[in-house]
Amino acid sequence: MPAVILQLRKVTVDKRTYSEVNKDILRLMTKTGPGYYAALGIVASLAGILFFLPWAYQIYRGQGVTGLNVPVLWGVYLVNFVFWVGIAHAGTLISAMLFITKTPWRRAIARGAETMTLFALILVALYIFIHMGRPWNAYWTMPYPNQRELWLNFMSPIMFDVFAIGTYTTSSAVFLYFGMIPDLASLQHQTTGWRKKLYSTLSLGWRGTDAQWTVHGRATMFFSSFIMPLVVSVHSIVSWDFALSLVPGYSQTVFAPYFVTGALLSGLAGVMLMFTIMRWAYPFLTKYVTDYHYDRVGALILALSLVWSYFTCMEVFTGLYANTSLELEHLKFKILTLPYFKLYFLMIFCNSILPLSLIFKKLRVSRPFMLFLCIFVLIGMWLERYLIVPNALSRKFLPFMWHDYTPSWVEVSITLGALMFFVSLFMVSIKLFPVISLFEVKEDIGIPMKHEHRKDGA
Amino acid sequence: MSGNPIKAIIERLKEFRRPGYYKNYDHKWTMVIDLDRCNGCEACVTACYAENNLPVVGKEDCGNSRVMNWIRVERYVAGEYPDVKVKFIPILCQQCSKAPCELGCPVYATYHNQDGLNVQVYNRCVGTFTCATYCPYDVRRFNWFTYKWDAPLEQQLNPDVTVREMGVMEKCTFCIQRIRAGKDKAKDEGRAVKDGDITPACAQSCPAGAFTFGDLNDPESRVSMLAKSRRRFRLFEELNTEPSVIYLKKVFADGGGNPPVGGHTLAGGHPPVKEGHGG
Amino acid sequence: MKRRDFLKYIGVGGAGGVLGFIFGKVSKPPVGKLMPYLIPDPDIIPGVANWYASLCAHCGAGCGVLVKVMEGRVKKIEGNPEHPVNKGKLCALGQALPQTLYNPDRLKKPLKRTGERGRGQFAEISWEEAVSTVAKNLVDLNKSGNANKAYLLTHPLRGTFAKLAAAFMSSLGTSNIYEYELFQNRNLLYALETSMGLDCIPRYDIENTKYLLSFGADFTSTWVSPVLYSDAYGKMRQAAPGNRGKLVQVEPRMSLTGASADEWVAARPGAECVLALSIAYALVEKGYYRGGEVDAWRSALSKYKPSAAAHIADVPEKRIYEIARDFAKTRPSLAIGGETVSSYQDGVSGLTAVNILNHLAGNNGIKGGVIANAAGEKPDFKKGIAALIDDAAKGRVKTLIINNTNPVFTTPDGAKTVEALKAVGFIVSLASFKDETVALADIVLPLDACLEDWGDDEPNPSVGYPCRTLMQPAVSRAADTLGAGDVFLAVARAVGGKTAGRLKAASYADYLKDAWRDEYAKNKRMSAGTLTFDDFWNASLKKGGWWHPVGETKKAMRVSPSAARDAASKGPSMFEGDAKDFPFYFMLYPHHVHRDGRGANIPWMQELSDPMTSVVWGNWIEINPKTAERLGIREGALVTIESPFGKVSAPAYLYPGIRPDTAAMPIGQGHDAYGRYAQGKGQNPIRILPFKNDLRTGAFAVNSTRVKISPAAREGGIVKLEGTANEAGRDIAQTVSVSEYMKMKKEAV
Repeated sequence: MPAVILQLRKVTVDKRTYSEVNKDILRLMTKTGPGYYAALGIVASLAGILFFLPWAYQIYRGQGVTGLNVPVLWGVYLVNFVFWVGIAHAGTLISAMLFITKTPWRRAIARGAETMTLFALILVALYIFIHMGRPWNAYWTMPYPNQRELWLNFMSPIMFDVFAIGTYTTSSAVFLYFGMIPDLASLQHQTTGWRKKLYSTLSLGWRGTDAQWTVHGRATMFFSSFIMPLVVSVHSIVSWDFALSLVPGYSQTVFAPYFVTGALLSGLAGVMLMFTIMRWAYPFLTKYVTDYHYDRVGALILALSLVWSYFTCMEVFTGLYANTSLELEHLKFKILTLPYFKLYFLMIFCNSILPLSLIFKKLRVSRPFMLFLCIFVLIGMWLERYLIVPNALSRKFLPFMWHDYTPSWVEVSITLGALMFFVSLFMVSIKLFPVISLFEVKEDIGIPMKHEHRKDGA
Repeated sequence: MSGNPIKAIIERLKEFRRPGYYKNYDHKWTMVIDLDRCNGCEACVTACYAENNLPVVGKEDCGNSRVMNWIRVERYVAGEYPDVKVKFIPILCQQCSKAPCELGCPVYATYHNQDGLNVQVYNRCVGTFTCATYCPYDVRRFNWFTYKWDAPLEQQLNPDVTVREMGVMEKCTFCIQRIRAGKDKAKDEGRAVKDGDITPACAQSCPAGAFTFGDLNDPESRVSMLAKSRRRFRLFEELNTEPSVIYLKKVFADGGGNPPVGGHTLAGGHPPVKEGHGG
Repeated sequence: MKRRDFLKYIGVGGAGGVLGFIFGKVSKPPVGKLMPYLIPDPDIIPGVANWYASLCAHCGAGCGVLVKVMEGRVKKIEGNPEHPVNKGKLCALGQALPQTLYNPDRLKKPLKRTGERGRGQFAEISWEEAVSTVAKNLVDLNKSGNANKAYLLTHPLRGTFAKLAAAFMSSLGTSNIYEYELFQNRNLLYALETSMGLDCIPRYDIENTKYLLSFGADFTSTWVSPVLYSDAYGKMRQAAPGNRGKLVQVEPRMSLTGASADEWVAARPGAECVLALSIAYALVEKGYYRGGEVDAWRSALSKYKPSAAAHIADVPEKRIYEIARDFAKTRPSLAIGGETVSSYQDGVSGLTAVNILNHLAGNNGIKGGVIANAAGEKPDFKKGIAALIDDAAKGRVKTLIINNTNPVFTTPDGAKTVEALKAVGFIVSLASFKDETVALADIVLPLDACLEDWGDDEPNPSVGYPCRTLMQPAVSRAADTLGAGDVFLAVARAVGGKTAGRLKAASYADYLKDAWRDEYAKNKRMSAGTLTFDDFWNASLKKGGWWHPVGETKKAMRVSPSAARDAASKGPSMFEGDAKDFPFYFMLYPHHVHRDGRGANIPWMQELSDPMTSVVWGNWIEINPKTAERLGIREGALVTIESPFGKVSAPAYLYPGIRPDTAAMPIGQGHDAYGRYAQGKGQNPIRILPFKNDLRTGAFAVNSTRVKISPAAREGGIVKLEGTANEAGRDIAQTVSVSEYMKMKKEAV
């Protein structure tokens, strides 16, 4: 027990009170300077210009505005799809898995990670539509009763995807909302106007009674257990989009764990990147997201990177063991042909070599280094997907049809624009909802002294 | 009737357990292509353009590998001057009995019909590209744009075949409109479809007579005879897609430094042939 | 709405409708496009196709087609299964007939030149004005006593239209009919005539032969009658069980047919003649020749001992003897000589040598060899394109009628064709498209597509028995055009006098029907038919013509040693340019669907990849990969080919099937005019050739110059469909060796 207490002490900075926590978060939510508006304005308009306009153009003209061609029919959109599913994994990992394992440092960053998950999943859903030839018929992928008795192909990995992503989005949203209820209830007492109305409606009459807390605790446990398999299953299913085909470079049994590992790696990098930026924008957050977090997450990134490296080696070996022209040509193209040669080794550097530096604690707690590392890990993970998705299709079965793929300006623009869209969603959300879980941080502080008790309501 | 209704229902469900796999096909349309006859003239390609309303996509999109040919004649070259060996192989949708594309489509836009054909329903297609990605033969074509015919070229369009819109996947149908017409005619005349009633456009046009089309379920048909040939092979047989297109091997001259070509399937561990050109 | 208002609106609307109808009637043609089936044509059942038997006019093979017509529109062209030439099959170019018919760039009205000649500025005029202008010019010419200065330049004519044209010109008092097309088989016909005494192309029985020795004949793709020969090729390979014919192709650049050959003999360009004669010598030397005059043959061929020829032709001596042995021992065998050989400056020699080979091996008149055909049309060998250009340049041509041929595109810059045509007083051009030659015309008369026109044909080569085929319109005219026959008749009427007297038919359809009375008589004689003429005519229209597959034409075919002496007096064919400055032979060949350039305006044909290179929408220069490596040329890079007469730039294609000392380029692209699909695609390599014409035959030689190749740094913009031609060891197009195949056959039996 003393060890645990010791750990708790490290998680947050001492000498904080409940009211301080509330004030900090409220400040973040309500005190908005011109800098924020300027940033939001820029990001949101970039999202409009780079994301929505090109998408509208693509819908008007057709998928021909992309760089796709006949052997390479899955391009950057699918890469982004997989990438954002990966980013979405961090939330679940941190809030569910680490909850169950009772890892204390998760508390401060869980809410942010969950929010990220939800918004990443929104992008994932958008990418499904963007990638479709006839997005206006997207609802046909839903099982709904219809006159012509059309049904869905539940054999199709794409169908698995629809349901996996659907389940994941729903449960993530519920989990996020559910976890937020006590916070919303606490906030409704400290706000006025529309916020008060909003929070009191959303808090569903939470009063913080013991019975409610008990139920909440049980339910959180239940949701965590429920959502935890999704961490494994969703990205496994996404990997089956590829693994269930016959295409050399896709058809690999190692893909499910490989994709899951990669997803967690990129997800954690995403979370840390987000918090690093937020800490820079709102310095008082340093109190909540401390060096200790950086230390722990850094160690986790290191571990995941090692597992990922193992799978990357295995992927190559699987091909080499098969020793058919199909696999060898694919590997040759992916690893030894320019420009993919450069991309491949950049990926190895980002995901395997660079994270090795996290062995040193000094680097783990160095915020500039972590910022740099997270960006590189994200680039590396994006490249990994790029080197799998369009790249394998460039060298399919019939050499007569081998054809390269270069993304068009529309694809590049939508990729960047979608990122901007994500950032603007996130920026809006931190103003609407507490990005740090109040009640969980308060749990860290422990039971307050008598004179402080209930000073701030709830 | 068995006594156990649940068992009966389970049995019934098993029949539909996998999409489009029927116990018995009404017909098993099959094409036999004799590579020893094919000289690569591409009359079949033009016949297909005319019959199936294939659009002309223009120079730029051809360069992007978006040409809309449902059938193409692939050419493989081995050897160096003066010992150059060229092989032609017409490749069209192989109408696989176990089609990877059918597995991929989430909305059953591509499925197997009772004739053993791999059918594409344009109206149902939402354009996920999965079918074409899964296709080992790269025969599926996508409508990247809504293609236009310069007036009055559109007057040539075949009214028996739909003109596809943007965002839809398409592919060789074995000229299903001709199969329908042949079956209807046989029905009108009160007889079964007989061998030679139905000929897809490519097979009809082939000047060298490399194509033979017919029903493999009919043991007397020409394709049934040809399918017994010892020269037969199917493309990437080891993928177990069970194509309905059967090729007959080209006969190559002895000696002359040809690479020894056995009857085995996809070469495991064969070093890639060094020769050849292009890139 | 009140009832009264409603009625009011109805009334106003109704009045408007009536007014609109009346004005519409006045301002528009009575039959609008909206409801063509208001009163349906009794022939038309929507959704049900009518099939018309007709002919394909895209090349000179004369294939019979069935035209699928639905709702008054041509939908598809298929081979006529009863037709003896193509037996229901059809090549890519033939199937593109609808795209010629419905081509957006077709000429729709007669045109009159408005700007300077060659600028291509025209104004639309009416048919009356156009015909009367032409007629007036011809009458004036006649009055001024210059009747013999009227010339007709036409594509090679056959059948009734040839007679009509001849009658027209002779009634004007001139016999200046020049037939011209780039690949016209002039040399072939000349060689057959002089060495074998044949007046038409015989039936080369590829179908039944066991050993086919082809000297540069791309017979499955462009040579003479590709569908006939492709069909025969397929049957030669696999029709009879266990009897697989062998194909040996002799050519410096592997053609599409060469790609299917069992052996490719890459002889030195121009030396095929020497190689053929040395094979002939080997036949005599080894005693394979069993006929008479052995000594005469031996002496006539003595210059061509394989030991000497091996060096000239760059083919090992041993191989020459092997070929000779196989050619003589395999029965029946057949030798043919195609475009490559006939397109040299001395094209006749090689073809004569081929005839000698067939004679010495005893292939003439046997099944699987050379079978004689009845007479066919033949060009006047004196009237080559060079003679016409010469006449024109010297001002001897006052009026020139050009019928559907494009000499400006198919002659080199050095021929000065444009300048010569500019010196012509008055040019009338009959054409369907505004091509390079039409641009120089004073009056342009738009022609029907062959699916709108009447006509007939006697295929040459025929099929060994009498065959005469009919072309009929399958649809009504899409624009304000006329058939060439109708144009001639209309002009004749307008000219009046003797001309009108000779050509009295009201339309070409009548003229044609009348001309077919001969056929009717022949049919009556041969099959003791009891049909009336009208029944015979209708039956022929339905069938697509008249043919009588009984009684093969018997003709003596022998080649005398003197023919060998004539051919033997020549060495390898000349190539212009010094070998040091211009190290590469330059071989041109017709693109498999653009042919001499005529197919380039058809979008399907532009997008149909070349089978050997997979290039679309443009052309390329073929260079051996080794040569390219030596010169530092990458695939797709722009290279410049320079002959002593000019230069042309095109992207390089590294082509393993070509001699390292040779560069090749397809003909067909590089149009300056000829419609939106043809214009500005690729380069026209003919431009840089010397204008070398065979004095005996008037044929223009396209394989006649050496070139040098220099790489340019730029990309050439080549668009090809192939990823790579390397099979990567995947055994995609599987093969079986001949010995294994023979074993299979034995086991199967």
